[in-house]
Amino acid sequence: MASTSPPSTSSPAAMSSTTTTATTATAKPCIKCRSNPGTLDSRGQLVCHICFQKFISQKCIKQIGLLNKDVRSSSSQSLSAYHLSQKNSGPPQASSRRYLLGLSLGASSAALLELLNENVEFQLSKGRNAPFELEVVHVSCAAGAGADGGGGGGGLEDDGKGRTTTEREKVEEVVLKRLGGRYPRFEFRVVYLEEVVGLETVDWEGLGLEDFAGSSSTSTTTKAEKLQQLFDNLPSTTSRTDLLRLFTRHLLIAEARKSHCHALLLGSSTTALAELTLSETAKGRGFSLPWQINDGVLGVPSFSPSSSPSPPSSPADAGKKTKMEETGMLVYHPLRDALRKELVTFTKLAGQPTPIAELLPETDSFTTTAAVVSHKDLSIDEVMVRYFAEVEENYPSIVANVARTTGKLMRLFGGAGVADGDGDEEGGGKAVGEDGSEDNDEERLCGLCSMPLDVLGDERWKGELGEDSYRDALVVDKGAKRMKQRICYGCERSIRG
Amino acid sequence: MAPALCAICKTERANIKRPKNHARVCKGCFLTLFEEEVHHTIVSSNLFYPGERVAIGASGGKDSTVLASVLKTLNERYNYGLELVLLSIDEGIKGYRDDSLETVKRNAVQYDMPLKIVGYDELYGWTMDQVVETIGKKGNCTYCGVFRRQALDRGAKMLDIKHVVTGHNADDVAETILMNLLRGDMGRLARSTNIVTGDDSSDVKRSKPLKYAYEKEIVMYAYHKKLDYFSTECIYSPEAFRGTARALIKQLERIRPSAILDILRSGEDMARLVPGESASSCGCKGKSKPPAATAAEDDGGIGGCGSNGAASGNEMAAMEKQLRENEAAEELEVDVSKLSLAGRAAESETDGAVPLKTNKNSKPVTRQTLGNCKRCGYMSSQEVCQACMLLEGLNKNRAQIQI
Ligand SMILES: [Zn+2]
Ligand SMILES: [Zn+2]
Ligand SMILES: [Zn+2]
Ligand SMILES: [Zn+2]
Repeated sequence: MASTSPPSTSSPAAMSSTTTTATTATAKPCIKCRSNPGTLDSRGQLVCHICFQKFISQKCIKQIGLLNKDVRSSSSQSLSAYHLSQKNSGPPQASSRRYLLGLSLGASSAALLELLNENVEFQLSKGRNAPFELEVVHVSCAAGAGADGGGGGGGLEDDGKGRTTTEREKVEEVVLKRLGGRYPRFEFRVVYLEEVVGLETVDWEGLGLEDFAGSSSTSTTTKAEKLQQLFDNLPSTTSRTDLLRLFTRHLLIAEARKSHCHALLLGSSTTALAELTLSETAKGRGFSLPWQINDGVLGVPSFSPSSSPSPPSSPADAGKKTKMEETGMLVYHPLRDALRKELVTFTKLAGQPTPIAELLPETDSFTTTAAVVSHKDLSIDEVMVRYFAEVEENYPSIVANVARTTGKLMRLFGGAGVADGDGDEEGGGKAVGEDGSEDNDEERLCGLCSMPLDVLGDERWKGELGEDSYRDALVVDKGAKRMKQRICYGCERSIRG
Repeated sequence: MAPALCAICKTERANIKRPKNHARVCKGCFLTLFEEEVHHTIVSSNLFYPGERVAIGASGGKDSTVLASVLKTLNERYNYGLELVLLSIDEGIKGYRDDSLETVKRNAVQYDMPLKIVGYDELYGWTMDQVVETIGKKGNCTYCGVFRRQALDRGAKMLDIKHVVTGHNADDVAETILMNLLRGDMGRLARSTNIVTGDDSSDVKRSKPLKYAYEKEIVMYAYHKKLDYFSTECIYSPEAFRGTARALIKQLERIRPSAILDILRSGEDMARLVPGESASSCGCKGKSKPPAATAAEDDGGIGGCGSNGAASGNEMAAMEKQLRENEAAEELEVDVSKLSLAGRAAESETDGAVPLKTNKNSKPVTRQTLGNCKRCGYMSSQEVCQACMLLEGLNKNRAQIQI
């Protein structure tokens, strides 16, 4: 796809990066409306700009419809009356739904912003109430490199390392102001990455970062320094990129909870979900993929620091010291059926008076790497992004198929089966119960990524690979043993290397 | 800078950096570590029983040579009580197999193991050279792969041996996992992660004791042990999905050495999440279920030729086409009167795998139910096994040429 020919486009400038289709294209009409000239190749079909935008819009609306239903049913109201099809019984009651959109300022989440706005405007134009309220939050990873005062409107230093980061902040500010002007109906906010420090959804103690816990009230500067230190000590670019992603999600979920949102919306495209599938597989997090890829309620842990200051006497004790409470948050990916390149094209076409793409920062310099991640080498995430950019070009359906089939995996808790009444996992469940039955009634979530811990998988892996006494003899890491109980295999890899 | 000492024995110079975890060890400790890790795999998976006769699928390449050497060492060190036999397949590719078979023959002497060489001509009536003569170079990797898979089992049967071990290493398994993710074939992904493929109901059990061993460490082991092996790349290139997965694995390993192992961990965990898939990797629980994996799905992996049986030159393009047809069919399905064949195939799909046409005259694979091939009796998920299908085509071709 992504090959567009702009003979009659209203925004020739935005189309510069896309290639024109064969000259015969202008002669052929759009395969869907059969009236406008076909100018875009959409999944092998020649379509016009209007039909292309409709196509993307429909994919999004379908998911939003499911989400709206989900929110209704989870708020335990009587379900029978609610069918969200447009022809249904008059205007619904005042909108009580409240969503939070994570805006990265890349094409996909910007496309989602535009589509959500379209959806609201459409409803309003029909004389209905807005179907939902929306808060838009951008997590800024601008601060953190060097000692440049950090977050918010802090002093702008123009020397050395500090400059690039504040440049970035300036860009963010400008872009968000533009978007706020374009979508006055929605509320825009920036959250700085260092605000993750002290957040109770991360088990800081379990990570051996006791001084991070309970430091939520310390100054932004201190937090930024702490965070930078943490990132500096991570073993690889892959680890830094990984934690950046996890922390961003922690912040979005925290914001969503703070403002009592019913759901967190992410702009992940089909392509992004396929990337996530492979990169998380490569990072050892295959077990949690069904949670990460699918829409639905995710467990949100809350760790309260243990009162006793003495270190745990044995690794087994460690897991029990910190108290974990769990709530949930609906997480949705309304653009799961659209390819990234389609969304890029969409942002170049959609939006009035100028396409939304023109409001966004230039991609190369901006969205790629955050300040806290070094530029030296590629991360696993980046490898997958590059790989799928290639695959998407020639085999878009294969990309879509990756996310779709991965989404069919079952969600299990603690490695024991809970899904679909399938008897297969019974043996596994029993194995967990046999030893340490106390641990079993508590479904523990990973202290870093918040995904369910795979007790059974951990045990089996230990059995298959041995206690790894050789590595333990080589790696001097006091915290390692303690951590095992509290964070998942993939997170342990990210922290320890 | 003074030379660092081995992290294990702390006396010898650390002249080896383990590819797996970058630990610095001496040569002696590396060799021991490598062997002990394979031993652990064998013990923890209950791979063998005392007195068992085991055929080592031997190609003369590094993987199977290291496997034979390590198994011999461990068999003696830990009194496994195994009767080890080398089993080699002669595809009948001139110049390719001649040298590697010579290597295997030397190995048989070096390790004091009996050797059985089974030829394609003996098994199928066709050498690979004859196949290439008939159908050309394109797509012959399919034949080679399909024939080889069965060849090992058939060879084992000739020897009345019920367990074949192959030299599949961690890189191979990781590659297969990524490949099946890309193909969206969760069922096959689940089965491929098992160390044992095939179970009580199949005639020949297959296992891969080097499942957790890094390819780079295998090369290192062979080098430091001064093993006599024949190093050659498969002269046929792998099909698109495997090729692309292989390239990814190499890149990932460079970025994070543990990635290969991490992919294995992910794959094993995901296997437990596949609806209706056997959860065990030890193969001991699956009695009431279909075999963990059919040998027919497991490529031989002993010749370095990782074909997995796509008839067309570009499997990715073929799959893309198929997926688009399915999508189109799904859209049509809304209109009930226009229910198309492809649509029904997509509908009946349970594990999300796309029915891929591997051959013009073969029907799309829908569900894996295991039976036996009508013609040769070999375990097969279809009425006629892949090998017999290919043979039919070949024989027709030959008949035509003779006329
Ligand atoms: Zn049109
Ligand atoms: Zn985790
Ligand atoms: Zn040593
Ligand atoms: Zn047959």
